[in-house]
Amino acid sequence: MITRQKIFFPALITAALTLFALPVQPQTPAAPATPNVAAQAVPPATSENARDVLARVRPAVIQIKGFFGTNTAQAFHGTGFAVAAGGVFMTNYHVVAQQVQFPDKYRLEYRTTDGKTGPIAVLAVDVRHDLAVVRATGYTPPPLKLEDVPPVKGERAYAIGFPLDVGLTITEGVSNGRVEDSFDPRIHYSGAINGGMSGGPALNAAGDVIGVNVSGYRFEQLVSFLVPAEHAQTLLDRAGKSTPRAGGFKNDVTAQMRAHASALLDGLKGEMLTQPTAGYRLPAKLAPFIDCNAAGDPSPQQPAQLVQISCAAKAGLYVQQGLYSGDLKYSHFVLTTDKLDAWRFAHRLSQMATATGAYGSRRHVGPFSCENRNVRLKGFDASVMTCVRGYRKLEGLYDFTVRVSSLNSSKRGFASHLDMYGLEFDAGMAFIKRYVATMEYTP
Amino acid sequence: MSAETVLIEILGSHGRVQTRERVPLTAEQRTFTIGRSVAADVTLDDAHAAALHATVEITPDGKILATDLGSVNGIVIAGKRHQQAQGLELPDGTLQIGRTHLKIRTTHENLAAEKPHALQPSSLLGDPAWIAGAGALACGMQLAYSSWLGAPRDLAIVVVTTLISGVLATGAWVAFWAMLTRVMQGEWRWLRHAAIFLGIAAIFVAIEALLELGWFVFSLPQWSTRTAWLGAIAFACALYLHLMHASNLTARRAALIACILPALSGGVGHWLQARNQMRDVNHIAASLRIYPPSLRLRAAGTTEDYFHSTAALRDAVDKARKAIRADDDDEDESADDE
Repeated sequence: MITRQKIFFPALITAALTLFALPVQPQTPAAPATPNVAAQAVPPATSENARDVLARVRPAVIQIKGFFGTNTAQAFHGTGFAVAAGGVFMTNYHVVAQQVQFPDKYRLEYRTTDGKTGPIAVLAVDVRHDLAVVRATGYTPPPLKLEDVPPVKGERAYAIGFPLDVGLTITEGVSNGRVEDSFDPRIHYSGAINGGMSGGPALNAAGDVIGVNVSGYRFEQLVSFLVPAEHAQTLLDRAGKSTPRAGGFKNDVTAQMRAHASALLDGLKGEMLTQPTAGYRLPAKLAPFIDCNAAGDPSPQQPAQLVQISCAAKAGLYVQQGLYSGDLKYSHFVLTTDKLDAWRFAHRLSQMATATGAYGSRRHVGPFSCENRNVRLKGFDASVMTCVRGYRKLEGLYDFTVRVSSLNSSKRGFASHLDMYGLEFDAGMAFIKRYVATMEYTP
Repeated sequence: MSAETVLIEILGSHGRVQTRERVPLTAEQRTFTIGRSVAADVTLDDAHAAALHATVEITPDGKILATDLGSVNGIVIAGKRHQQAQGLELPDGTLQIGRTHLKIRTTHENLAAEKPHALQPSSLLGDPAWIAGAGALACGMQLAYSSWLGAPRDLAIVVVTTLISGVLATGAWVAFWAMLTRVMQGEWRWLRHAAIFLGIAAIFVAIEALLELGWFVFSLPQWSTRTAWLGAIAFACALYLHLMHASNLTARRAALIACILPALSGGVGHWLQARNQMRDVNHIAASLRIYPPSLRLRAAGTTEDYFHSTAALRDAVDKARKAIRADDDDEDESADDE
């Protein structure tokens, strides 16, 4: 097989859809000039095992294709695998998201490895874990077994799917266990997962499902992620009690986004940890799943010294094309100077507190409204601006953009940014209040 | 009685005297004729006048009486047309024949008292050179200050380029009005227009800066459309003064134009901006403008008060969210795709 250096999904799953938009790659014949020299160096047992695994699960794996309107050319595609008798398949939510959001515009079809096709209906979705259960009409292969014991670090693993529409593919790698300190439960799989393999099964050497292919880092090497099988089991149990709905899953998606937002803020309920920078105590790594970085300019020639602390929950979810939500991030820009005068220092600080509302499109969210005032905090005064905008279809969810800028000195100061997406209003405001009230100046 | 003279001023459409004609009067001959013909005492170049259109008689006590000589268009006195007028008195000596306005002046007219003329203006405020200079200084300082604020390095280049562009913009604006004045009034009045522009720009900059600083100093909530409002008012004032100096419009008409134009442009601009902001959901109009903390005079509020007021944002954003029309949905689809 030729090796083609293919880009992976971007960090946030996006890719499945982005990559599907690429023209279908024509399959070039394997270059005869380079016979399998490398393959001979690999222990033969491994390849045989991959062959065995593939042979065993092959009937249970289907390609899922989405079509816009009555078109016969596909709009997007992914993979699915049988998890229960009666043609019940598991895939990723992001594979079927467009159809879930616009059931009148898109239709789904399956295609087996034998070339058999038929319609698919969505039974249940889990936006939080990026899973969906679908039923295929007219195809009922024996289901794969969901392994309920989480895989051990270093265990051999295989991922199966239809990458870039080049046909059924198995990739071999190593499971690296649960991703530590991640808000979204994920298994780290050191193997290739490319666009189109989304929703396919990841298996252990026994051929049991340890997870569902979900994402990988674009431009990195073989850092891919699986949704643990236990979440697939949970969704499957839930789907067993439901039937395909005419009204679609919009209410489910909203409710799941709400649940995700609550879970995220619950994870931040503990004591607000702070870290000192230039006399200011500012919110630090507030929970294990928050990822923080700090950097500064080591050059002493700068007229003002900047230290930047950036933290992110990396909890964003793919809701539909162009809509990610449920994330939270904050950063502090701490500025000190012994060269700049008071006016220019204040000007720099104002520039650092400038706000724009990150990503967002008018079809999903409304415009911002802001409240802007000087507020007395612990040991210092600060200017605080809170901007909010509402989601149009995810009723009751809001984006928040907060800027805090200190007002107590002409030699030191900070601008703090807090951006939160897809939270309920009161819960979001309560978090902002805690965030702001925890800031302290201790000279 | 010695020989008497009548002065006939033929006025242009904008009310300025185009030509003057003197007609001598004697005790016996106290009338003169007006018409298109060379035979008339006062010849008009007006297709709407008859060859011999009218006669005007100056009575010995100074009354001016007009008589129509059977013209088609008659004579117009104070905006009213008179056909076949016989010995009609002209109260202020003005009449219209055809399309030409005439003013007939006699030795009997009441002249206004002589206006005193000082070689040096009585106050600095009346001297356009001084106003222009002071305004230029103030505007230049503002430009220099704003470049100084943001640019610690290469300051000289930024200041110089900013100042040059400021000078060019001012020059273009003043040149436009001076040329208009030249066409309408026959003189340039450079200094006057420069004084109007620079003076008002300086006042605008000063008020704007004071307000912005005031908001910070007294911890007041910001007025986000402030610049637009102040700008519109400044534009209106400048327009009024420019018009008054450049054209023969009456004060009322100039004021009307000066009010309507900025209101129209400002209104349209504001409407466009509002539309664009609705369109760009990532736009945040408010900003934190910070000045040296030592300037602050009013204590900050409590967090409780602040978060009490932020609660009102929910209704505001819900309203804004619902205001997006449903059929607007798909317009920016391309922006969604990455």
